[in-house]
Amino acid sequence: MSASEAPDHSAALPDPGHHAAVRRVALGAAAVLAAALVGVAVAGISGRSAGSSNGPAFPAIHPAAAPAGWLSATLPDGAVLWYPPSMRPVTADRGAASAARLGRTGAYLLYLNATPRQGDERAANWPAFRLSHLRDDDARSARELAAAAGVRFRGGTGSCVLDSYVTKVGAHHYTELACLVQGSRASSVVVAAAPTANWPQAASLLERAIAAYRVQ
Amino acid sequence: MSAFSVRASLAALIAAAALAACGTSPPAHPAAAHHDPGTTPAAPAIPAPAATHVAAAPAATHAAKPKHKKRHKKPAAVAPVTQAPAVTQAPPPVNPMPQGNGGDHDADNNGGPDDGDGGTV
Repeated sequence: MSASEAPDHSAALPDPGHHAAVRRVALGAAAVLAAALVGVAVAGISGRSAGSSNGPAFPAIHPAAAPAGWLSATLPDGAVLWYPPSMRPVTADRGAASAARLGRTGAYLLYLNATPRQGDERAANWPAFRLSHLRDDDARSARELAAAAGVRFRGGTGSCVLDSYVTKVGAHHYTELACLVQGSRASSVVVAAAPTANWPQAASLLERAIAAYRVQ
Repeated sequence: MSAFSVRASLAALIAAAALAACGTSPPAHPAAAHHDPGTTPAAPAIPAPAATHVAAAPAATHAAKPKHKKRHKKPAAVAPVTQAPAVTQAPPPVNPMPQGNGGDHDADNNGGPDDGDGGTV
């Protein structure tokens, strides 16, 4: 055993030139690998599509009337937000409508909001606008999961973003589906959100509420 | 005797010249070593680049290793002095979020989900 090991060490030690060559090759390979990884990362960032490559796909929104028994809130511009009876209206900005299902401690379990367009948001810049607004407004961090343009709504079309963010107050993690919807007369924003941990269970109901949203 | 004395004096002169030459060169090297502890005002400005040199030097030249190591190690020891004020001066995190409903009653002012407004709080 030791006799077989000795020749290996003696053969490896006295050849520093060989080591240097091996190091150069290894460094070169590492550099090539790093460049390839950077290229893949840049391609992934710039190639944003409807569904992010490593995130969830953007959900299919099929405009449809709200199920029987759902309640509604109408904005001044005529847009109608529908919400299930398990949710109740909560305070919102003037001219906006919100509904929520709250937990026993008052935590938001489901959240819906509709607000007339107020700022510089446009269909073309909606995902970036929304994420920037979240960071400026209430979120310490926000990231896009998926986005889609030309989404059909009842009475109009919309640009949507699926994102997740962490609030500045309380560090709550939310996932939301937010759409800027353009109708024939007005445009408005509809938001459906839930705690990120609950999103897999909440998504179906919230997407149904988004699909029922109607604009004028 | 006289010839011997002339030779002796020439040898002494050569020896003295050689000693003088050897005697002047050594202080030039220690000057670099003394440079670091002696220049207290300049020392705090140097440490940051010194850290980068320490990483680069071993791969660059083998002959200059000892001198470079001596030069760069000493400023590195001074570095914590410059870093200490930066740590103490770090301002506490400021939360720009309006607390307690900041002007309206949105859920998002209190850690709830963000509504769909486009520019208001």
